[in-house]
This record gives sequence, C-alpha cells and structure tokens, in this order.
Amino acid sequence: MSILATGSSALLAFQRALGTISHNVANASTEGYSRQRVELAARPGQAFGYGFVGAGVETTSIVRLADDFNFARVLDSGAELGRLGSLSGLSARIDTLLSDGATGLSRPWSTFFDATQGVAAQPASAAARQDLLASAQALAGRVRSLDAQFKSMDTEVNARLDAGVRDVNGITAEIARLNAEIVRQQGAGGGQPPNDLLDQRERLVGQLSSTLGVATVLQDDGAMNVFTTGGQSLVVGTRAQPLSTVADPFRPERRVLALQSDAGPVALASGAVGGELGGLLEFRAQVLDPAVSQLGRIASTLTFTVNAQHRQGVDLYGDAGGDFFAPIAVDAGPHALNAGTGALSGALADPAAFTGIDAVLTFDGAGWSAVRRDNGQPVALTGTGTAADPLRVGGVALTVSGAPAAGDRFLLRPASGAAGRMQVAVTDPSRIAAASPLRASAALANDSNAVPGVLTVPDAGVAGVVANHQIVFIDDTTYTVDGGAPQAYDPATGIVGSGWTLSLDGTPVAGDQFSLAPRGPGSSDNGNMRALTALDDARPLEGGQLSLNGALQQLTVSTASVARQAGHALEAQQVVDQQVRSDRDSVSGVNLDEEAANLLRFQQAYQAAAQVISTADTMFQSLLAAVRR
Amino acid sequence: MSRISTLGMHQMALAQMQARQSELARTQQQMATGQRLVNGRDDPVAAGIGIALDRAAADHQRLAANANLLSNRLALEETALTSITDRVARLREIALQANSGIQTADTRRAFLAELREHRSALVALGNTSDGQGRYLFGGTQDGDPPFVATGATVSYTGDQTRRQIEVAPGVSVADADPGSEVFQRVRTGNSTVAARAVDGNAGTAVLKTAGFTAATQWDGDDYRIEFAGGNYTVRDGGGAAVASGAFVSGQAIAVAGYQVTLQGAPADGDAFTVGPAPNRDLFAAVDDLIALIQLPDTPGASKAAQQNGFYAAIEDLGAAADRVTDLRAGVGARLATLDTTAAERESQLLSLQTTLSSLRDLDYAEATTRLAMESAALEASHQSFVRIQGLSLFSLLR
Repeated sequence: MSILATGSSALLAFQRALGTISHNVANASTEGYSRQRVELAARPGQAFGYGFVGAGVETTSIVRLADDFNFARVLDSGAELGRLGSLSGLSARIDTLLSDGATGLSRPWSTFFDATQGVAAQPASAAARQDLLASAQALAGRVRSLDAQFKSMDTEVNARLDAGVRDVNGITAEIARLNAEIVRQQGAGGGQPPNDLLDQRERLVGQLSSTLGVATVLQDDGAMNVFTTGGQSLVVGTRAQPLSTVADPFRPERRVLALQSDAGPVALASGAVGGELGGLLEFRAQVLDPAVSQLGRIASTLTFTVNAQHRQGVDLYGDAGGDFFAPIAVDAGPHALNAGTGALSGALADPAAFTGIDAVLTFDGAGWSAVRRDNGQPVALTGTGTAADPLRVGGVALTVSGAPAAGDRFLLRPASGAAGRMQVAVTDPSRIAAASPLRASAALANDSNAVPGVLTVPDAGVAGVVANHQIVFIDDTTYTVDGGAPQAYDPATGIVGSGWTLSLDGTPVAGDQFSLAPRGPGSSDNGNMRALTALDDARPLEGGQLSLNGALQQLTVSTASVARQAGHALEAQQVVDQQVRSDRDSVSGVNLDEEAANLLRFQQAYQAAAQVISTADTMFQSLLAAVRR
Repeated sequence: MSRISTLGMHQMALAQMQARQSELARTQQQMATGQRLVNGRDDPVAAGIGIALDRAAADHQRLAANANLLSNRLALEETALTSITDRVARLREIALQANSGIQTADTRRAFLAELREHRSALVALGNTSDGQGRYLFGGTQDGDPPFVATGATVSYTGDQTRRQIEVAPGVSVADADPGSEVFQRVRTGNSTVAARAVDGNAGTAVLKTAGFTAATQWDGDDYRIEFAGGNYTVRDGGGAAVASGAFVSGQAIAVAGYQVTLQGAPADGDAFTVGPAPNRDLFAAVDDLIALIQLPDTPGASKAAQQNGFYAAIEDLGAAADRVTDLRAGVGARLATLDTTAAERESQLLSLQTTLSSLRDLDYAEATTRLAMESAALEASHQSFVRIQGLSLFSLLR
C-alpha cells in the first residue's frame, strides 16, 4: 500500500505548503512579518533486495526566512533614524525660532541700536527717547521669550524622556515575556522555531532600537538578550531591567536617564544611548544648552556693556546715568548633597573673559577649584571669595556666603538663565543718560578762534573727574589745568586732564582760557549716546575679538548648521534605511506574485498527489475486479 | 536579481511620492515667499551673513534718517544766518548813511526806530526755534531761549557744545553752531587788527582808512600812536617808541605792516591804538551804534569822537557780516558733506541690498523650471505606481 501512503504523505505535505502560502498571503501587509516556507524532505526509502523504494514526502520544518545580519542592520539603521529624527526635528524648531524674523533676535536687536541712533540724532526729543525705551523693552522681551521657548523645549525634552522611558520599559518587559514564551514553545515543539513569536519579538526589538538604540545577542535556548549601545543590559533572558529618569543633582528640574539596578538607579552616560532618546539627549547637550548659554551670554554682556556706558552719561535731570538694563545675577546652584551652608552669588565682571561655559566649583576646605561641566577640563580660578577678593572664573566674580564644607560642589552656569532675567531698568524716558558728563567752553574773550572739539571722559565714576576744570594757555603751545604744572599742547592729542581729554578745533594762542563744567539738567548733548551707539560694533567678547552682533550671528549659524547637518544626515539615513529594509525584504518580505506562483505549483502538486491516490484506488479496484467471481 | 516584497514595493513607492511632494511643497513655499532661504538651516552661512548685512542695511537707513534731520536743522540755520547777514548789512548801511556829512542830529534820529527794530529782530533770530521745541542756537543747552535781554544787555544762556551727528558709518557732521559763535565771539576791526581812537581825545583827528600793507609783518602787539607837538610816536606794548615823525593830515602812519590814515588835527596827548582785534558781542555793537546816533551835533572833539565811533561801528559790523558769512560757508560745506555721504550711503545700501538679495531671494526662472520638473516627476511616480500596483498574478488566476 505504499502508493496510497506516499500519495497521502504528499497530500498532507502540500496541504501544509498551501496553508503556509495562505499564511504568507494573509500577512503580506503585516509589518515585520517574515515569510515562511515549508521544508519538504523525501521520506527514507524502504530497503528491498533490489534497492530502496521511496516512501513519499514529509514536512521537516516550517522555517522563517530571516537573516540575522539584516536584522542587526535594521536595528542599527532604526536607531540612527530615530536619533537623527528627534535631533533634526528639534534643532529645526530652534533654527526656525532663531532665523525667522518674527521670532528671532536680529530684528529687535537692530531696532534697539537704531533707536540709540535716533536719540543720538535728537537727544532732547521725547519721542526718540520713548522709542528707545520701547525698543529696549521689545529687545529684552524677545530675549526673554526666546529663553522661555528654550525652557519649554527643555521641559518637552524632559517629558519626551519620561514618555520614552515608559515606552522602553513596556517593550523590554514584553520582550522578556516573549523570551520566556519562545524558550518554552521551542522546547515543547522539539526544537522547532515558533516563527510568529520570533517575528513579534524582532518587531519589538526594532521599536526598542529606534527609541533607545540596542544591540542583541541570541542565546542557544532561543532567548534574546538586549543591551544598550553602551553595553548596559536591558533584557537578559526572561528578566527586564527597567529604565527610569532621575533629577540632575545640580539641577533638580532636569531629568537624566538611569538604569534601575539592585543598588538603586545608575545614571547613564549621555553617549550610552542612541535612538530617539539618544537624539533628545544629544539635542539637549549639543544644541539647546549651547543656545541657551549663548543667548544668556549675549543678554548678560549687552546688559553689562550698555549699563557701563549708560552710567557714564548724564540724564535730562542732570543726574548721572543709572543702570539701563536691570543687572543680571549669575546662577551658581549648590549640589543636592552639599554638607555645608555655603552659597555663591555674583555677576559678570569682565566680558572679554566671559565664556558662558558651565563649570563645577569645588571647595576643598581651604580653597576653590573649577572644572568644566562638560569635559572635566580644569578652568582658571583666582580669588578667595570675599567681597574684596571675589572668586574670578570665566569673567564672572563670585562671593561666598555661609560656610561651605570641604567637598561641597556648586554648578556655575554663568549664562544659562541669564536671558530670562533681562529687563529694562529705566522707565522714565528723561532718565536716559544721553549727554556726556562734562561740557567744555572757550572764554569769549579768547584771542584765538579755537573752540572745544571732542571731549572724552573714559570713566565718569572716578572721583574728581566730573567737576569744574580751568585750562589756561600760558603761551601758544603750553597750558595748565586747574593751575597745575604746565603741559605741552599737541594738537593731535588735545588737552589732557586727569580722567578726560579735550580736543580743540582751531589753534589756541597764549592767554586763551577754556573751562569744563559738569553737565546741567536739560542738556541735549549726545556724547554718551554716541558712545552707546558704538557698542553695536564694539568687540567686548572673546578677549576683545567678538562683537555682540557676531555672537548673535554665531548663535544663529551654529544652530542652523546643526539643524542642517542633522537634516542632511536624516535624509541620507532614510536612504540607507530604505536600502536596509529592502535588503531585509528581499529575504523576508512576501511577494504576492511569488506566492501566486507557489500557490499554483502546490495546487498542481496537490492535484497530482490526489491523482496518485486515485490511481492507487484504481489499481486496488482493478485488483479487486480481477479476483471477483 | 533581488526579490522584491509587495509591501516593500508599496512602501518604497509611497516614500518616493512623499519625497517628491515635500520637494514640491518647498518649491511652492519658496515661490510664495520669494525667498530662497526660508529657514537658517537652508544655508547657515548665508543666514549668518544675512544678519550682519541686515544690521548694516538698517544702520544705513537709520543714518539716512539722521542725515535728514540734520539737513533740516542746517537748512534752518542757513536761513537764520541769511537773515542775520541781511540785518547786519542793513545796520552797516545805516551807520554809513548816518556818518555822511549831510546828516544832522535830527535826521539821524530817524534811524533810531529801525535800529531798535533790528536789535530786537537779531535777538529773536538768536532764539530761532528748530521746529521741535528746541532752540537752534542754544548749543546743547537748548531747552530755553539762549539769548535773554535784561535791560541794556543781552546774555547767552546756552553752551558752546556743538553736537556731532553720525550720518554715515564712521562719518559725523557737526550740528548747528552755538549762538556764542554766531553773536558773541565776533572779531572786530578787520578780524585781526583794529585801530581805534582812545576815549577822551581832545583833537579833531579822525580815522579815515586803516589796513594791512604787509599782513605777514603784523606781530600782534598792542601799539599806540601818540601825538605831541605836531609829531606822532608809535609805541609798542612795552611802551618803547618804534617809529616817529611829523604828523601830516591825510598821510599814512605805518605800524608793523599795518597803516593808519588820520585826518584833522590831533591835540597833544591824543592817542590811537592799533592792536589785536578783540571779540565783541554783536548786540553790544548795535547798542553802540544806537548810542552814537543819538549824540548831538557839537563840532570839534565831540564830532571827531562820533566820526571815529561810526568808523569803528562800520568796521565791526563788516567783520560781523564776514563772521556770519564764514559760518554760512561752514553750514554749506556741512550740507555738501551730507549730500556726498547721502550718495555714498545710498550706493552702499544698494550694494548691501543686492548682496542680501543674491543671498536670500529666489531666482524665479530657476524656481519655475524646478517646479515644472518636480511636478512632472510626481505625476510620473503617481502614474507608474498605479500601473505597477495593478500588476498581480492573482488577478490572472481564474
């Protein structure tokens, strides 16, 4: 009866095959599905004297067509795509904020300096002064609003990290559960692979990789161990290691990723993760923080330099100028675990040395030292922290209050957050100190035609500078100031007093007298406003190399560059990803035409096998007929 | 030959179509805004340069507004200075007429009303408003009228500061001149030297002409021509005699490159000074003229003093007119500077805007071509997708 047995083995086998084809067709559109194939093998033949007689076909296995190397590539590519997607999306938003005229800084910046020019042209005009105040408020408002936008992006990053961690924990728990199930089923199935569970696990690992970036190791028992790209285990066998977010010890509002271990949460280094979460961390460290810092640096420096110049002048009431923008204090928060009561406070003191780089300051019980927050490189620090000798680090002067304990740490963020505190201090337009502090006049009885030219007062705050001064030419080339020692007159440098310089238009002669007097109220002089206007082109930063407008350009260009590079890399990665997926699909994907052809093939084979049964039946009937009486 | 999966084929076709669509959307956005760079990431370097150039262009525009304001003020000053020149010229004319031989004390009094009118008009000109509620000639203390007439004197309450206004990057032009320079610091004589009769001369010698013969020899010393016994002696500042001779009416006396012609008969002890011209208030000069005109006709020394007074007034007013003319020339030069800087500024602004435009603005010809090409590509991918997805072996299985 071997024909019948052979035929029925074929019927069974082709039924399996047709069933598998229908499974493939049914899952033609299922994401992550790997096509399956029935592995057929000839049954071992039966030995007879004349040889072996074939015994039909049997289904050895239903295999899943998948390539582990392709899977690893899909994981890598997905992680990179996730990382670049979040990096590029968020940096593009910052770039749009900064480069769009309606939200960027360059327009109100320009308007502010235009308004200073307006006051310089019409120092007594109430309208021009009001315009300067309004444009200063608009500038400070835009700086604050940008800072608020940055802050809200920081909050968003925190929220996305939290959400991502919840996702990751859900997925890793599911992978661990699948691992258990696969190990169990594979054992129960006599070593046959539970194909659809494997697909499900691969899909989950793919999702995990695009969120976090993972590497996998397959165990002999069928379990898959999952690690972060930094090597920390997320799933080992049937056990998942949950992730969490913890507060940054210096900045409680900032979340960082941590791995839950038996000893408590262990913070993950920023390079340890990839995927979307890695992209978020990278965005925060490489784009957001530098942008916040640069914005704060610009705001602090503008406040500092404008105030310094404004204080040199005299307002319409005849009083010395005060702060134009409200002075910005520096943020220096203590570490959460500090044992002492010490606190640091201070402000920008030297824009040329002002880097805006975050630094960690450590008190060793006697003195202070500083290292960069980002790379741990030492930062120059001088001073003892008293009011007379403040700690000077990165252009900032800090005084210590309270009693710090040895080992206490502080995070100095000289620029971050500064932008959010930028405010215009002047509210009364008449308080704008446009006039220079001294005025010069030539005695009307002078014999020469010389009249006062440019009067320069480098620092009006020095005692005795803003006072009455009398200059007398004792001969054509020699003069005395306030009856002091005779000085030679050089037309190129003018008359040099203590704390001021006066140039003369015309040639003085013996007997000429000039006088300086403090500027009274109601003056429409523009000397100080002209100096303030020049701050637009001044180079206060980077040791006198970088103008504020240059810093503004840097901010825009650097964020735009990151956004552009991330965008380009994302486009490239999309192409790579497409390639990787089509490589995977060329092995694992379902092609309906192929299935249709196979369908026909197995249908025909099935029909043939049925015919074999029918033939066997015919043979049997013939035999029966032959022996029937 | 690689296998193609059906799902993969759909996904790839979809991805391609989406890519084409986003390209089209971008081109459409560019064409709608007219800008090549929509965001900084489109070209970070150009965006950075754009910020600097935008600032420079805004600065140029603001400086143009400054220059405009300044030009208005300088035009106002020029108008005021023209009026002052006219008034001073008329005052000089009156002094000349009043000094002529045919005038009597009565006829001269007829000028009095006009003189007083000119004086108050000059004070009013000194207090010219700048149209913005400030006073043009007040220097930087221009909130109140700079010239205040109290009784017989006019005092100046402004200061001598002349504002500098930036009108082009690095170019500043001086604002209106302070009133002290226009009305107060006015040289007398011929602007360098003045020859004057000493008060109380008893003789009838009057100054006829005085002027340089060799300006380079003038040494700025205070000389004095003294008369005694029909002879004259020229003494320098230290009192030493430097020249002497017999006095002849109408004959020039030389003093260090300067010469003085006197007519009439000086009495013994009479003297004339020849020295550096002092500065003088224009209003005081008018007041002197008013006083001279009211003097009665008494022949002799008094008459000579009046004639010498007229001589001085005519010369001083001439110097004042020259002074105002000089200031007008200065204002004209500043206005000319404004014009040249305006031309420079405009050409700079144009080149800035051209650069900005080349950085940022869209080339419509290129964009239109691109749009056509991209829409053709999208259409083709639509059509090919429909064609390919219709191909299925299953559809042939009956």
